[in-house]
Amino acid sequence: MAKAYDYLFKLLLIGDSGVGKTCVLFRFAEDQYNATFISTIGIDFKIRTIELDGKKIKLQIWDTAGQERFRTITTAYYRGAMGILLVYDITSEKSFDSIRNWIRNIEEHASADVERMLIGNKCDMNDRRQVSKERGEKLAIEYGMKCMETSAKLNENIENAFFTLARDIKAKTEKRLNQNRPGSNSQNGTGSNTKLKPKDNGGSKSSFFKMCTIL
Amino acid sequence: MTECTEAYNLSELVSETNTNLKKVKCLRCDSFILQPNSGLFTKLEMSLSIPALRQKKSIVTGDSIEYELLQNFWIVNDAFTFENIGFTNTVDNKKYLICADCEIGPLGVQNLDNPNEFYLSIDRVKHVN
Ligand SMILES: Nc1nc2c(ncn2[C@@H]2O[C@H](COP(=O)(O)OP(=O)(O)O)[C@@H](O)[C@H]2O)c(=O)[nH]1
Ligand SMILES: [Mg+2]
Ligand SMILES: [Zn+2]
Repeated sequence: MAKAYDYLFKLLLIGDSGVGKTCVLFRFAEDQYNATFISTIGIDFKIRTIELDGKKIKLQIWDTAGQERFRTITTAYYRGAMGILLVYDITSEKSFDSIRNWIRNIEEHASADVERMLIGNKCDMNDRRQVSKERGEKLAIEYGMKCMETSAKLNENIENAFFTLARDIKAKTEKRLNQNRPGSNSQNGTGSNTKLKPKDNGGSKSSFFKMCTIL
Repeated sequence: MTECTEAYNLSELVSETNTNLKKVKCLRCDSFILQPNSGLFTKLEMSLSIPALRQKKSIVTGDSIEYELLQNFWIVNDAFTFENIGFTNTVDNKKYLICADCEIGPLGVQNLDNPNEFYLSIDRVKHVN
């Protein structure tokens, strides 16, 4: 069946163990209806469909399998990634200090033009804050990233973070497409990233893509 | 074949071209899973045994998982055909499909021997216009 979307973006979450990556990506399950089959085996990735400026975008969002604990995130995990959320915990100085190391890791293993964004998670725990918002912003500016504070617990800014990252990747992709218009763009191995598609089943779009479907 | 109480009428769900007539959504949270006309209807001769949505016992030990035999599926050939879907980690060479929003599941299964066939159980989703 025809591909009914405009773009496909692979997104990753990176950061120290315990900063809340899994909660950001998945459901913040405090009141675990736990010991279900699913929570026992764990979740690998999700596919989300969002709409931005009339374009239908598929997001494939991956969680780490906990490799970050051993700092063994390698090329395989980064392969094809177009966007990375770099997550620290605002109540953990150490997790914030680690961001520079993670950036180095990304530079080493990920594609050079991967879009990055800095996330200060757990902003619901202001009373235990160790990292000021200003320091987050300063670091983000230093590396040319956007930044945002989130709370997976209160579901605050999570959706916004994914949309912002997706929007920036889209802008970058479209800019590149325009630049390369006359020739074929072969610089980016996986052509599937920027595939232009026939959108066949038009019709009543608006209600399908309510902006709140991402977490 | 005895357990499958057909709370739905297949003729109202399947198009002439054997695809899903209606939108497919999550039973619990309404998350939008599949556009109309995106899954191919299949009634399996050999039902698939898939872990039940509700496990009565605690399954921390893993040796008492309750299964359910399922026969009717929408088969999807590309993961990105789904609007919103989650995949579990691999167990026994299979990945299970779950709701991307509320994470209820398994809603279906992908056998990695045939990685381009995603089986979404018709019994475990709802169909809306
Ligand atoms: N207060 C608060 N706790 C959080 C938040 N996000 C995650 N946590 C908690 O932080 C711990 C680690 O979260 P997890 O997602 O497993 O971190 P990961 O190791 O980065 O995947 C868990 O106990 C979560 O409940 C948040 O936004 N606020
Ligand atoms: Mg985790
Ligand atoms: Zn759901």
